[in-house]
Amino acid sequence: MAQCVQSVQEFIQDSFVPMVAVLSSDEAERVSRKNNLSFSELLRPFCKLTSEGHIRDPNNQLQTVKNLRVCVNNLVTSLQTPSASVSPAQYRLLSEVVLSFQPQEGAQTSAVKTGDYSLNLSVTTPWFEAYRDNFLQSMPASDHEFLNHYLACLLVVSSTETVPVEQFLKLSQEQHRIQHSGEYTNPKWFIPNTLKYYVLLHDMSEGDEQRAELVYEDMKQRYGSHGCYLLKINSRTVSPEQDEQIPDPWSQYLLRNSQRNQEMFDLVPAANVAETSAGATEVDSSDSAETGPGLSSSLEVHPLQLDTSSASLQTLTDVHVDLKTGARDSEHPALGSGSYGACLTLNDHDHVRQFVQEFAFRGLLPHVEKNIRQLNDQLLSRKGLSRSLFTATKKWFGGGKVPEKNEPKTTSNLLYPPEAPELQIRKMADLCFLVQHYDLAYSCYHTAKKDFLLDQAMLYAAGALEMAAVSAFLQSGAPRPYPSHYMDTAIQTYRDVCRNMVLAERCALLSSEILKSQGKYSEAAALLIKMTSEDSDLRSALLLEQAAHCFINMRNPMVRKFAFHMILAGHRFSKARQTRHALRCYCQAMQVYQDRGWSLAEDHINFTIGRHSFTHGQSEDAVMAFRQILINDSRQTATQQAAFLREYLYVYKSVNGEKKGCLPELPLPYIQSSTTRVFFGHERRLAEGEKQAATHVSLDQEYDQNLSAMWCQLEEQLVSSANRGIVPNNFQPSQSCLNSQTDNLHPPLAVVEEPIIVELSFRNPLKVSLTLSNLSLLWKFTADGTSSPGKTQTGEQITGETITNEEASATQMALKDDIITAEIIKEFHMGSEETKMARLRLLPHRTGQLNIVGVVYDLTSSFAGETASNTEGQQALSQMTVRGRQDLKIRGPRLNLTKEDKMQVRYGADQRLEPIITPPMPLMEVFFLQFPTALLCGEIKKAHVEFCNVSAVALCGLRVASTHPDFFTFGSQATTPVTPPSSVSAENCSAYKTFATTLQQGSVASEMLVSAEEFSQPSGVMNIPVHGGMLQPGESIQLPLWLRGPDKEGVHEINFLFYYESIEKGPKISHRVLRHTVFICASRSLNVQASAFHSTAPPPHSVDDKGSRGTLVFIDVENVNMSEGGVREFHIVQVSSSSHHWRLHKYITPTKDNDCKLSSRERAKLCFRATRCKPRQANLDNVDKLIFADLSLGNERIISSSTPCGDFFFRCCNTSTLQQVDVNSRTSGNSRSLYSAPPSGSGTNLTSVTRKCNDLDLNIIVIWKAYVIEDNKQLILEGQLHVALHSFGKEASSLVPKEESQEMVLLKFKSELPPPVVLPFPEVSQLIKTSLHYPETFTHHFVQDSLCLVPVTLTLSNCSVALVDVIIDLRHNSTSSESLEVHGSFSWVGQTQYKLQLGQQEVVSLTLRACFFRAGVYNLNTPRVLARPTEQNSVCETSQQTASPALIIIINSARLQKSNSSDEQLSL
Amino acid sequence: MAVCIAVIAKENYPLFIRSVPTQNELKFHYTVHTSLDVVEEKISAVGKSLGDQRELYLGLLYPTEDYKVYGYVTNSKVKFVIVVDSSNTSLRDNEIRSMFRKLHNSFTDVMCNPFYNPGDPIQSKAFNGIVSGMMVQTG
Repeated sequence: MAQCVQSVQEFIQDSFVPMVAVLSSDEAERVSRKNNLSFSELLRPFCKLTSEGHIRDPNNQLQTVKNLRVCVNNLVTSLQTPSASVSPAQYRLLSEVVLSFQPQEGAQTSAVKTGDYSLNLSVTTPWFEAYRDNFLQSMPASDHEFLNHYLACLLVVSSTETVPVEQFLKLSQEQHRIQHSGEYTNPKWFIPNTLKYYVLLHDMSEGDEQRAELVYEDMKQRYGSHGCYLLKINSRTVSPEQDEQIPDPWSQYLLRNSQRNQEMFDLVPAANVAETSAGATEVDSSDSAETGPGLSSSLEVHPLQLDTSSASLQTLTDVHVDLKTGARDSEHPALGSGSYGACLTLNDHDHVRQFVQEFAFRGLLPHVEKNIRQLNDQLLSRKGLSRSLFTATKKWFGGGKVPEKNEPKTTSNLLYPPEAPELQIRKMADLCFLVQHYDLAYSCYHTAKKDFLLDQAMLYAAGALEMAAVSAFLQSGAPRPYPSHYMDTAIQTYRDVCRNMVLAERCALLSSEILKSQGKYSEAAALLIKMTSEDSDLRSALLLEQAAHCFINMRNPMVRKFAFHMILAGHRFSKARQTRHALRCYCQAMQVYQDRGWSLAEDHINFTIGRHSFTHGQSEDAVMAFRQILINDSRQTATQQAAFLREYLYVYKSVNGEKKGCLPELPLPYIQSSTTRVFFGHERRLAEGEKQAATHVSLDQEYDQNLSAMWCQLEEQLVSSANRGIVPNNFQPSQSCLNSQTDNLHPPLAVVEEPIIVELSFRNPLKVSLTLSNLSLLWKFTADGTSSPGKTQTGEQITGETITNEEASATQMALKDDIITAEIIKEFHMGSEETKMARLRLLPHRTGQLNIVGVVYDLTSSFAGETASNTEGQQALSQMTVRGRQDLKIRGPRLNLTKEDKMQVRYGADQRLEPIITPPMPLMEVFFLQFPTALLCGEIKKAHVEFCNVSAVALCGLRVASTHPDFFTFGSQATTPVTPPSSVSAENCSAYKTFATTLQQGSVASEMLVSAEEFSQPSGVMNIPVHGGMLQPGESIQLPLWLRGPDKEGVHEINFLFYYESIEKGPKISHRVLRHTVFICASRSLNVQASAFHSTAPPPHSVDDKGSRGTLVFIDVENVNMSEGGVREFHIVQVSSSSHHWRLHKYITPTKDNDCKLSSRERAKLCFRATRCKPRQANLDNVDKLIFADLSLGNERIISSSTPCGDFFFRCCNTSTLQQVDVNSRTSGNSRSLYSAPPSGSGTNLTSVTRKCNDLDLNIIVIWKAYVIEDNKQLILEGQLHVALHSFGKEASSLVPKEESQEMVLLKFKSELPPPVVLPFPEVSQLIKTSLHYPETFTHHFVQDSLCLVPVTLTLSNCSVALVDVIIDLRHNSTSSESLEVHGSFSWVGQTQYKLQLGQQEVVSLTLRACFFRAGVYNLNTPRVLARPTEQNSVCETSQQTASPALIIIINSARLQKSNSSDEQLSL
Repeated sequence: MAVCIAVIAKENYPLFIRSVPTQNELKFHYTVHTSLDVVEEKISAVGKSLGDQRELYLGLLYPTEDYKVYGYVTNSKVKFVIVVDSSNTSLRDNEIRSMFRKLHNSFTDVMCNPFYNPGDPIQSKAFNGIVSGMMVQTG
């Protein structure tokens, strides 16, 4: 419960006060009317007595009466019986009272914090107190109680009256008539002989004071000095000039009413209009219909016709009429607020106060005292005798007035006669209560209660119970606990038995107040909630609100119950047309429901708040509330959402109607601003006929981190090659499409007259579809200082200042279109819960700084279902369109570098939408012609590429970089022969330049010396050989382009990045790039495996060349093409070699006439002899020259050193070495020792030494032709494969061995085993070549000589160029028992260990002797040769490879003879 | 049987609410939300006297004109609320108790689902099925 101004005691005391009627003569009324007040009103502010009074109780005990208040009312007579419910007029009054007390803006609030709720509540509820006070005051007097019966009557006569005494008599008779004639049921009188108090009203301004005194003296004699009074007022003459400020105590009692009226007049029509327009769903339409007549009736009702005794109502109506008719009281010019008591001075105020006090203490209290005593005496006298008798007779005769007990229901309406003894007790109790003698009151009430209950007079009993409880509570010192069950019974009786809601309500109000004061909040709440019913919305609303306050004030605040009851109260308020209060309730409840996941409830509250706010003209709040509904991820149904949306748009539209100018921010649809993408440049042109345009970048592509890194790397290569190998510091990769992952720290650069496309992602959170129309971008533009020539006159105007299209006025549109053209999307439809992209385009026409601010659009909610069925008027409503904007605010990525950044949440800048418009730049388009999609591995194909400058600026510096530089070539200028290619190649569309081999060179290769530099392209960047180096505007050029299928089968993604620059120097954009991506499907063709071996036999014709030993090269060619239908057969056309030192000399197989054909899955082995070239010119020139040797197998020779064959060869070499480096770095983790050089300098030396003897830098190019049948046509495809031989003995293959896929490796949780220890320097084992020379068979006669000595020559030849220490250990026998068994044993005799030093490529022969003990086959290859280079002290000797077994057969000649003889013996 | 079944998280936001007549959904939301006050009251009252050994079933929280609201709180302070039609007199306390137990078991299953993110609204089909069963059983 909200806090009250009064304490509970005060409140109850003030609720039950002695009632005093006023009966005044017309003249007296006129005198008081001068002050714009009736007499009773005049007294009202002074009715509360400040001094203490005293009263003696029946036991002659003195009782003090503190803070007594009397209630003075005009005597109004009526015939109406008291009704059990609030009359309509009273109800209206109450509702006005509540309406007038609106929560103040800055009203005191208290923050309640419980659990995780922190609420802001208004502490006081003045409207409730006002309601309560008014309600209690306007209680109709009823028969069962006397509290609000008139106890006394003031008879007021003016001194200006001709005969005042006569007038007094007349009034007295009038009073008597009213009380006793029985004509009027109202007002009711407490006691038959009502106290009459005679008041002579003297107007100081006009009357004769002497005369008044005289009359007063006369009165004193007639009525006694305690029964009359002379009241002097109006000491001041009415003159507006001398208007000194006198406190106006009336206004707080009276003024409110008139103000309230005014307000109500304003409010009601507005509410009506709003209600009907909004199409209220909750408020019954019957309600609104009711208000009209109700209101008018209140105006028509005559003041005197008003039923109840409520004077305030009367005055209210007076004011009503005043307002309507204009000036009824024309004699009072100063009619209006603050004009009360205009004729009264402060002295007069004191007079009035004194009068009231005098009346109370001299007149009223003694009267009450007397009556109490009288009643007490009566009761006492009856108590001993008649009471028991009375009850006894009742029991015995069971009759009289007392009805039968078997009808308890009907008894509720039982009426005691006024003189019934039960009523006397009650009367006495009431009197005691009024004069604050609560002890006595309680005992009387208690007694009365018993009697009434006995009689089953339920209404009376309830009244007694109620008051007994109240007086028990009010007893000072509280001798007994508050009997709340009395109250409960009373309420129940009132409500259920008597059906008197008014009394029940009073009872509940009192009881709840008392309970609250005792901290029993939950009981109070229960009581209040029980009192809510259908019959009065206003009461229910107020009580529910109080109940809600009870819940929050409990020791453990029940927040949710509070909120729920607040909502119920709000609902009731809105039904009672107290929309402001309803709004306040909902707002308070909202605090509990907000952001806690109770979305359905939240939506409901928001919706209601929105509605009410709107009807109160608080459109902003309404918009906010509706916005909340739409923004929350609502769980409402689609139709509900549609209604919300429509409502929202309606409200929005009305808000916008109010304020012109800047467009409002719309909440729907959501813009996912982080996913905004910005694209600079034209959209990609599609392929034109055979031409295939470069793919470049488009908005359709997804962003890929790896890809963009790759492009950036390519661009870096290009830029560095354009800047002679240096990448400038301010290098920024050009980004034509910006998104959340790109680097947006710098403002992007856009080119004038090239479009900027912004892709926005809209999300519709609703289940209904939305339509955006006239969607376009909002921008701000600041032109830079240098405006473009030719537009100077307008350029001056716009330079420097910021122009925006935010406020769109038609006149400026033309100018704005001149600067930047914004494309408008006419209609953009979004389905329910859809996320959709919109691409909006801007075309800048000036240079400067552009800032894309937001989007502007018309939001339309389309309701397909409704428009079909409804009439036209409704259609207009359902097609609600609101123009609004949404700002684009893009937040950069979260910063996470410094500690501060990590501690806080900070975001970086994002300048995606702030492009700088730069002067024109060249723009190039690239088209590809006859570009294949599928190739065989190694296939060579010729295509064309067209470069086209589509801008107005010339471009130069055309370059290209690619991820696969070995895939294509433009041909090198150096080797491009001027002579046209031979006719044969032209016929076949061959990519190669060939010419027929006219000279039959037999099997000997033709040679050509080529410098590698001519082909070498540093770092994969190729200059495009454009004639003149530049492309003029509009010019285009076509260039041939050779392609070679990648060596690996599969689909390859090949990226090209074309680079070009503007001819003009120093633009903001240094260069531009164009991307192109192709996918090539490579299928297997041939697998070439080559290996080289030293041939032991020296080449016949190079005897003079000591250093070069003859080498055999074997080439295995296998057709691995899988598609058997496609490729019919492969022909090996030519084998070429390329090397610094070696060349292919001639072929051994196949023979000349037999060219090599391979159909599917066939395989052939070719054998060549290669020779080492003389190290002559190559070294002289000091230029790295390569020798190309071509061995043609057909009848035409392909010059392998020229384009394109040479190009591709060099490309492949480059990439393969690159790859190898790659592999090294990749695998270095676990096999470092295998590849990388040992750390010590000696080690590198060693490897180089050892390697050299095995090195063979021979590259073999196999050129083939494939015959393919496609569409019944035979095509000849050509291609080349490269094999690089690096060392002898090792086999090299053109097919890259398939790497084992890493993905499928099982997860290992244990650390991996250390890699197996690799023998260091396997090359070292080949330092020395050994051979044994010995006779193959040796015959020895073991009988004659048991030992057989065989001379063996061991030839050692040093393969390396360094000195080598060699240790030959003959003693070392193979220890394996197996060899012993098989071969038997022999031993070396003579010197068994040698230590030699072999010079560079020296050959040494050692003569050894082997000693055999018996005949057999022996392996002589047992000597262990250990070698190490001489300088390498650290490295221990390594045993050299053991060659194949060297077998010797020892034949025993004795055995031969012996066997002969045995044969003989056999024959014998 | 039950007209509304709700699961409410420790922080008092709904994890799951389902009611039979959909048009009255808002009312049930309010009812369930308000019942949380009573639940908290009951927990705090019990917590003082018995410590850990409190019973999960809270019994009848409060009766309204048309409904009876029953509550159940798990040890992790997740609340279950079942709203039953007042006219349905056939339901005994024991039956309500077993309904809650079933609900709790099913809820535990939901929690055990490794793909369920604690605190998210429950969207489990199995749970939904159990709830449907309780709502339909006797109509």
